[in-house]
Amino acid sequence: MSPLIEIRDLRIRFHGDDGRITHAVDSVDLSVANGATLGLVGESGCGKSVTSLAIMGLLPKQTTEVTGAIRFDGFDLLKAADQTLRDLRGNRLAMIFQEPMTSLNPSFTIGDQIIETILRHRGGSRKSARERAIDLLRRVHIPSPERRIDEYPHKLSGGMRQRVMIAMALACDPQLLIADEPTTALDVTLQAQILELMRELKAASGAAIILITHDLGVVAEVCDEVAVMYAGEIVERAPVDELFSAPQHPYTVGLLGSIPRLDQRAEQLATIEGMVPNMAQPPAGCRFAARCPFVLEACTRAPPPLVDVSPGHVSRCIRAPLEILVS
Amino acid sequence: MLNFLARRLAQIVPTLFFVSVLIFSLQQLLPGDPALVMAGEERDPAVIEQIRHQYRLDQPVPVQYAYWIKGVLVGDFGESLRNKMPVRELIAQKLPVTLQLGAMAIIIAFLIGIPAGIVAAVKKGTAWDYGANFFALWGISTPNFWLGIMLIFLFSIELGWLPASGYVPLSEDWRASLAATIMPAFVLGNAIAAILMRHTRSAMLQVLESDYVRTARAKGLSERSVILKHAMRNALTPIITLGALELGTLLSGAVLTEQIFSIPGFGKLIVDAVFNRDYAVVQGVVLVTATVYITLNLIADIAYILVNPRLRG
Repeated sequence: MSPLIEIRDLRIRFHGDDGRITHAVDSVDLSVANGATLGLVGESGCGKSVTSLAIMGLLPKQTTEVTGAIRFDGFDLLKAADQTLRDLRGNRLAMIFQEPMTSLNPSFTIGDQIIETILRHRGGSRKSARERAIDLLRRVHIPSPERRIDEYPHKLSGGMRQRVMIAMALACDPQLLIADEPTTALDVTLQAQILELMRELKAASGAAIILITHDLGVVAEVCDEVAVMYAGEIVERAPVDELFSAPQHPYTVGLLGSIPRLDQRAEQLATIEGMVPNMAQPPAGCRFAARCPFVLEACTRAPPPLVDVSPGHVSRCIRAPLEILVS
Repeated sequence: MLNFLARRLAQIVPTLFFVSVLIFSLQQLLPGDPALVMAGEERDPAVIEQIRHQYRLDQPVPVQYAYWIKGVLVGDFGESLRNKMPVRELIAQKLPVTLQLGAMAIIIAFLIGIPAGIVAAVKKGTAWDYGANFFALWGISTPNFWLGIMLIFLFSIELGWLPASGYVPLSEDWRASLAATIMPAFVLGNAIAAILMRHTRSAMLQVLESDYVRTARAKGLSERSVILKHAMRNALTPIITLGALELGTLLSGAVLTEQIFSIPGFGKLIVDAVFNRDYAVVQGVVLVTATVYITLNLIADIAYILVNPRLRG
């Protein structure tokens, strides 16, 4: 079966005011099958959010240059007309953002904002759209939705607002849902609730999900497959269990090592030494070389290719497989 | 909301009291003796003394104030020292003229300023943006009197389309009335349009960067709906208050503009009254102006609450 969305050789460049060009994303290949959940992991600025905005067609056109191909259900989103993209957005493609506090328009009731999406793509009467909106609010477990629907966002807590955002994203039963750090701005107990909700909705709707996060705990709970990004590139892609049990890229190993554990006392939190390279002038070789504990001279000479280490598991490291090194 | 209104109305009373005291006291500092003005050519001390007594000018200032404010509270502002007309009647005659002028000016200001600001923000960095900014700078830095004279020169003298001066009441002949007021209204509204344009532009630029505008785009809404509904609704909230505050500028701007276009409005009334040391008229006009200004501010506050759900409570 062909994947629902397939990204091939995606490159994104930002043109700054000062004429500098930042390589935000470089030759990213990804695909997600119907009903599957892909985790996109990496630290801030690694290009994961930019990749998702490129899928949605929400990057500012004047300053960004996007090349490659994003095939959604057979046609290329990067070549599609604006009108076609608008017909897809909010309809078959939907997105949940990181900042629930500011992502809802303060001047309209949450009902208006959900109904607007339904009317835009489904048409029909306002009355039936309102009923559907109430139903959606009920599905994301908002108490007494008949009453809440007429409230303005400022009356709702962060967790409630994120539920509203999810309800809005689900308004037209999207085939692909992109969730950009949906739980980052929420406190831990709410995070668990929102994740539980997403799992529930995924089971009910069968939508494919791209979950963007820097939290590996979240990935372990929700995802089927994981892609790890570093400095605009995918450095490792693997089924979720395999990534956790046998990581094949030194950066992934470092990320897994930096999760604090309750069962072990540590004087200091584990960190990955060094800094992310300046993406206005990416290094010639492996982008992680400067921080890599396993670095060889060859690493700094040429960019490493993605290599298959096992079926469905690729790593951008010339020393993969890494078993011997890690132990 | 009701609580707020009650508090706001309660604030108006001391404000107006303070204004009335201020107007009355400042009046005393003006050079010249009103009794002498009224006596005219007749310099008979007995007549002057009689006038002083009649208008209570021989009494202490606080007593004079008490008599005045007592009348004001029942709508009696006294009578003009010059032509003996009741001040209330003068105000009733002239205020509608200035209100019409002001209303037209603010409509012109909003019609020009807000669309120009939105276009400049949406097309930031293009010729549209630079053009709008250029006209805003021009509008702010052009003096009223110069623009007025130039308009008269162009439209009245050269082209002969509009009357150069005078006023026709709306009720009498609305076409002639609009023709007589359109130039002064434009002169008055022009600078406000420029200020509104700049504020609308910066508010729109800020709002267009916001997360909820991105959400609106992610919903698949058209750019038109994103800008005119989601962005504009939020950007215009502060602009409404600003526009109402600018109405105060209109009242002061009207003084000069009415002079240039010889419009018998409030501005002209007060200038004539000051030159004639017609104290009763000056006091009445300034007090009414202050009241109008305070009322406009109150309306602005209410409008701000009505468009901003976070304040509606």
